[in-house]
Amino acid sequence: MAAPHRSYFEDVEVGTVVETPAMTVTQAHITLYSGLTQDAAEPGAVPDLLPLCLTTGLGWRIEKPPLAVLAFMGFEWRMVAPLRVGDTIHSRARMAAKRSMREGGVIVEDREVINQRGEVVHQGRFTFLVAKRPT
Amino acid sequence: MAGPARRWFEDIVVGEEYESPGRTVTESDIVLFAGLSGDYNVLHTDAEFMKASIFGERIAHGLLGLAIQAGLFSRATPAYATLGSAGLRWKFKGPIKIGDTIRVRARVAAKKEIAEADRGLVTLERRVLNQRDEVVQEGETDLLVERRPVGGR
Repeated sequence: MAAPHRSYFEDVEVGTVVETPAMTVTQAHITLYSGLTQDAAEPGAVPDLLPLCLTTGLGWRIEKPPLAVLAFMGFEWRMVAPLRVGDTIHSRARMAAKRSMREGGVIVEDREVINQRGEVVHQGRFTFLVAKRPT
Repeated sequence: MAGPARRWFEDIVVGEEYESPGRTVTESDIVLFAGLSGDYNVLHTDAEFMKASIFGERIAHGLLGLAIQAGLFSRATPAYATLGSAGLRWKFKGPIKIGDTIRVRARVAAKKEIAEADRGLVTLERRVLNQRDEVVQEGETDLLVERRPVGGR
């Protein structure tokens, strides 16, 4: 039986850019999100943290096997422009740095959320602890 | 003025502290969030795989904890006249496991006037605590808050 495909610390190349498929943010996403979390927005607007949540899932729909993430360590994020219901977003991520640790390694990723007009609406930097390839 | 009181930028005082009610994070929350976000990472969805991990069981998505914290914050204090978030700096310090009860403690760290005359920037330090008072997440969030309208109360 083949092991599930995953990308390990060793597979990450600094400078690589990954672009996800796009998705339209609908009122259904907002209703589900706000019902689940109690985090709301003005009518017609998209809650500030929702695009980030959705693009994390979009990151699973690329051809490259998913990163073997051991822990999401932290991130910085800026909301550059507002999003409205009906906007279509995707994300672009660039591997900015990697650092080997005793257990796994740290990957730093710069990520942008982009709307249907190609405008960057949110952007920031993520830090993950990723597993090394099992020996 | 009708409607619930909203606190303008001028009403918020640096150093104010708030603590929210608690919320127990359930398996249902995690399953729903996986479905909504599309993040089906084994950390959150594979109980058998996670038995062998350092956590010993499935854990909540970090972003789920962050989003629940945002909801709890709205119950910790009378609503700000918030226009939106400008940004955040956030650290995930420890796991949120199924059945953990989390709450948020927040403190107004800074207020800043910005170019737009109708709003200001409020920076909050936030800590997400579990039932053992362990900090599981912490960071700073920048909120854009409306100024009191000219002639308003």
